[in-house]
Parts: sequence; structure tokens; C-alpha cells
Amino acid sequence: MHIYLPIAEMSANVLLFLGMGAAVGFLSGLFGVGGGFLMTPLLIFSGIPSAVAVGTGAAQIVASSVSGAIAQWRRNNVDIKMGVVLLAGGIVGSVIGVKMVRILRLAGQFDLFVALAYVTFLGVIGALMLIESLNAIQSARSGQPRAARRSGQHNWVHKLPLKMRFHRSKLYISAIPPMMIGAFVGFLGAIMGAGGGFIMVPAMIYLLRVPTNVVVGTSLFQIVFVAAVTTVMQSTENYSVDIVLALILIVSGVIGAQYGAAAGARLKGEQLRLLLAALVLLVCARIAWDLVTTPPELFSITTTLGAQL
Amino acid sequence: MRLRAHRCWSVLLLAAVTAAWAPAGGDTRAQDAVEPEAELPDWGEPLRKRTQRSKRRAEPRAPAPQPARRSERGAERAGAEPAKEAVEADVSSRNIAITSAFTGTEVVVFGSVVNSRQPSAEAGYYDVIVVLEGMATPLTARRKSNVAGLWVNTQAFAFESVPSYYAIASTRPIEEIAEPALLARHAIGHDYARLAPSAHSVMESQPGELQNYKDAVIRIKQRDGLYIKRDYAVIFIGKSLFRASISLPANVPVGPLTARVYLLREGELLSTFQSRVRLERSGVELWLYQAAMRHPLYYGLAAVLVAALAGLIASMPFRRKPPA
Repeated sequence: MHIYLPIAEMSANVLLFLGMGAAVGFLSGLFGVGGGFLMTPLLIFSGIPSAVAVGTGAAQIVASSVSGAIAQWRRNNVDIKMGVVLLAGGIVGSVIGVKMVRILRLAGQFDLFVALAYVTFLGVIGALMLIESLNAIQSARSGQPRAARRSGQHNWVHKLPLKMRFHRSKLYISAIPPMMIGAFVGFLGAIMGAGGGFIMVPAMIYLLRVPTNVVVGTSLFQIVFVAAVTTVMQSTENYSVDIVLALILIVSGVIGAQYGAAAGARLKGEQLRLLLAALVLLVCARIAWDLVTTPPELFSITTTLGAQL
Repeated sequence: MRLRAHRCWSVLLLAAVTAAWAPAGGDTRAQDAVEPEAELPDWGEPLRKRTQRSKRRAEPRAPAPQPARRSERGAERAGAEPAKEAVEADVSSRNIAITSAFTGTEVVVFGSVVNSRQPSAEAGYYDVIVVLEGMATPLTARRKSNVAGLWVNTQAFAFESVPSYYAIASTRPIEEIAEPALLARHAIGHDYARLAPSAHSVMESQPGELQNYKDAVIRIKQRDGLYIKRDYAVIFIGKSLFRASISLPANVPVGPLTARVYLLREGELLSTFQSRVRLERSGVELWLYQAAMRHPLYYGLAAVLVAALAGLIASMPFRRKPPA
């Protein structure tokens, strides 16, 4: 069964993309991550133009995080004030990112930039997770208790001006770091077609020291809105949101995520993180491989932007 | 019980939403027959109308003679010249709709040789070349080179116009049919397709570069199935009737196509004919595409809304009470 994608301008096998959405959804449910960072490379590998993959990814993130965000909201796990500060930064980052996509597309360097961004972030995060989960498994085996995280420790983050009180997070910190983190994640979301939860969550925990029970809800709250803004911007600037493709991925992805979450409940946290680290490094290696090996065709052609219509 | 009914309902709804695209498409070739001809004023216009007309007027209307041998042709020209051959052609579908079910299609170009002197379909007396060409579009070709271990686009070359699609079918390989000069003059064959480089790129690049980039564009288009060459694909069915089937792949760029038919005899061009094929989005495809291109803001907002709703609906059947 094939369907013609109006923006990607190609006929796509619906079953292939349903399967892809379900697989990524399953993994994202299993590991509790957004899955955008897996979906975008997969879409590019399967022949979707990278700009369309990134634009459509933003719409898919809206869908995959909205139900989670609402659930967290109901449980009062969202620090709205923190979320709004992150969001303000996120929108700025997203605006810059979408403009940058346009500039890079015109210069013919977008594919390279996406690939480099993925290799860098997946490489660093995958390696960190691998080390952390291996250490955790080792210490669990040897029976030693893990060093408890020291709370209340102050770092450079606490010395910045513009201090604000975040009641829900029980924090009194400067608004600058959350803004910066939001902007950075928004920028990456626009360029990489990923929600950026995999950067946001560690940054909030380790840099801002937001309590873990609020982290997930607040980051989901921010991601929904930033992804929504990014979707609109990608539509107006790059005409690269394929709603038909997005719907195929959303429907299968959301259902896959539910089964993934059910499966994830049966695995241990350290094992899960080890598996996720391996997966992240695998995707990273695959993208890096294409960058360093001699391509079979050195030439490429692109229809000049805006030539259609 | 209530939960299960709820789940069934939502799954059904989703299935309906996804399935709704497929029937919206369908084969619209049936519409072709009822399409009024008045909509295509340029339809069936011979390429060199004026010269052909004047020639025809000058020639006496004689009954089609028996197929002549080569040696007799000179004599015929000098004396009572027989009616000159001309080619008339048409395409199987003048309007091709790109719907959500579009997976490529076949276009049959058929025609006949007026005043054919060919004794039979197998005689090989005439050569016919059929070219189906897409819209001329601007394009940029880029070349990668190794920069510090990474393969990076380093050089670019802009073309002002390149046929987005170029299919050629002939009775035998075109190199055997006609001289390169004639092929080049009429842009017959991939090597002679009208690839117009931008003046800026020509000025900035090395002398030999243009050919490299042209070759690359043709090679990539061939790899993508957009430049097609089929020798022996034009088949004579009778002494004057011929046909050629040309495939339009699913990735064919949307836009009008031009079909050109060339009738040749021993390397000499006898007659040409041109007609058009419309290749347009229709139905949901057209609606979505126009929305995305003309009203990108509303399209983007709608995309967010649809995505959020789809996410909520798809997760509804799975919603449980939060664990205690």
C-alpha cells in the first residue's frame, strides 16, 4: 500500500513508515525518551529529504509529548514558571534554528550540518550513558551502594544575576541558565528534528538541580510548546512539514510507545540505559560512517529552493 | 467493559482517518476522455507548422505510391513527387492526476505516418523517436570532496534550467538513426537535453567543469529513474501505426510534460509532432500542497493541531488510572 506524500513529493510505502513509527515509538516508550533523535535519521535513511524529515519530526514530537505532558500536568509535576522561562529561551532558539536551516539549505550544507550535529550529540550522550550504566551495573553487582547525589551544593550557576524563585522546584536561581538551556534545546530541535529531552533532562538535573519529580513534566511541557512553534516556523520558512507523513508516524508511534512502556516496566533501569546507550551509539556510528567513507556518487543535485509552485 | 468499547472506537476512527487518503485518489484517467479539447488550445500542434504547410501546398496531392526502393527516390523527387510523409500522434492520457494513490503511471504515445510508404510493420523503413520531457527547472549540482576526513560539498554549479524528466524511446538506438548534429539541434537524447548552465557558474568555474557537472546531472537523473532511454521501444503495428509506452515513475516532478515525436528516414528528419501532457496534483494532494505553499502559517497551525489531536486520540485507548 503506497501513499503519495504531498510535501516530500514521493510515493511512500505506508506499511514501512507505520512500522518505522511503531518501532521508534516502542523504543521511546521503552526508554522513556522522545524518539525524535532516532526518527529523523531513520527518515533520512529511507529517502525522505532531510529538511522534510526535520520539519515533519517537529510535528511528530508535538503528538508524542502532548499526552505525556497532560498526564504530568494532572499529577502537578509541572513547574509552570520554570517551564515558561525555558519556553521563552526555547522559542528564541527555535527561531534561530529554523532560519539557520534555511541558510544552510541554500548553501547546500544542511545535510552535513545535521549529520555532524547528530554524530556529536549522539556520540557524547551515548558514551556518557554507556559509562554511567556500566558503572551502575558494576556497583550493583559488587553490592556497594551508589554514592548519593549531594543536594544543596552550589555551583557557578547560582552566582548569576536575575534571580527568580521557582516554588514548585524549590529553587531560587538566576533565570539565565534555564533560558540558555531552553534556547539551546530549541535550536537543536529546529535543526535536528528532535525534542531535545535527552539534553534537557540531564541539564535540568545536573546544572539547575531541579527535583527529579518535576523534571520530566516540566521538560515535556516545554517540549510540546517549542515543538509546536518549530512546526509552524518550519512550515512558514522552509515549507517542510509533511502532515501526511507526520500522521502516519504519529498514529503508529503513539501506539508503539504504549507497548514499549509496558515492556520497559519489566526491565531494570541500568539495563535499559545500557541498551539505550548502545542504540544511540549505533545510530551515531551509522551517520558517521556515511561522513567518512568515500561516497559512491560525489555529485548531488538539488532543485533550487522556491522553484516550485 | 467501558474501556474496551472506548478502545475499539478510537482504533476504528484512526483506521478511518488513515484509510481516507487512499479512496480519495484512485485512477482519474477516466476523466481524460471527457476533458474538453478546448482547454488545450495548443494541442497537437506540429513543431514546424509554417514550413510544413508551405511544402504541402506546393506538392501535388497524389495517391500514396508503392514503397519505393532507395534508387528510385531521386527520380521521384525530380519528377512527379509523391505526397510527403508526415507524422501525427497523441498520448494515452493528456491529464495525469497525482493523487494520494499515485505510484507512477504509463503514458502511451501513439501515432501514425501519413502517406506511409512502408510495406509492413517489420520493414524498418522509418525511424520514430518519441521524447517525453518534463518542465525546465533551475537546479544546483554540488560536488563533495574530502575535507579533513569528512566528505563535504565543496563546489557548486548552478543550472538555470534542466528538464526535470526526460524519457526517450525509439525504433532503434538514436545514434544509429541520426547524426549527432541533428540530435543536438532538436535536443534528442540525454546527452543533448537542454541543460542550460547559469552564466555566473560558467564564469566562475574551470573550462572543463561544465561537462563534468552536466554528466553528473544526467547520471543522477538516470539513477533516480527520471531520465529514461529505451531503444527499440517504439513499435510499428501496421505500415503506418506506431506506439511507444513510457513510464512515469512515482518520483516524477509535478508539472507539464511535452511529448515530441520525430519521424526520420535514413538520418533525415521528415516530420515532427508535439503534444502536451498535464501532470497535476489533484484532490487531497492538491489541497494540502496549496495550503502548505500559499498559506504556510495556517498550514503550520493546522499541522500542530492535527498532530496534537492525533497524539491524544491515539493514546486514549491506553489511558489508565495513574498507579497508586
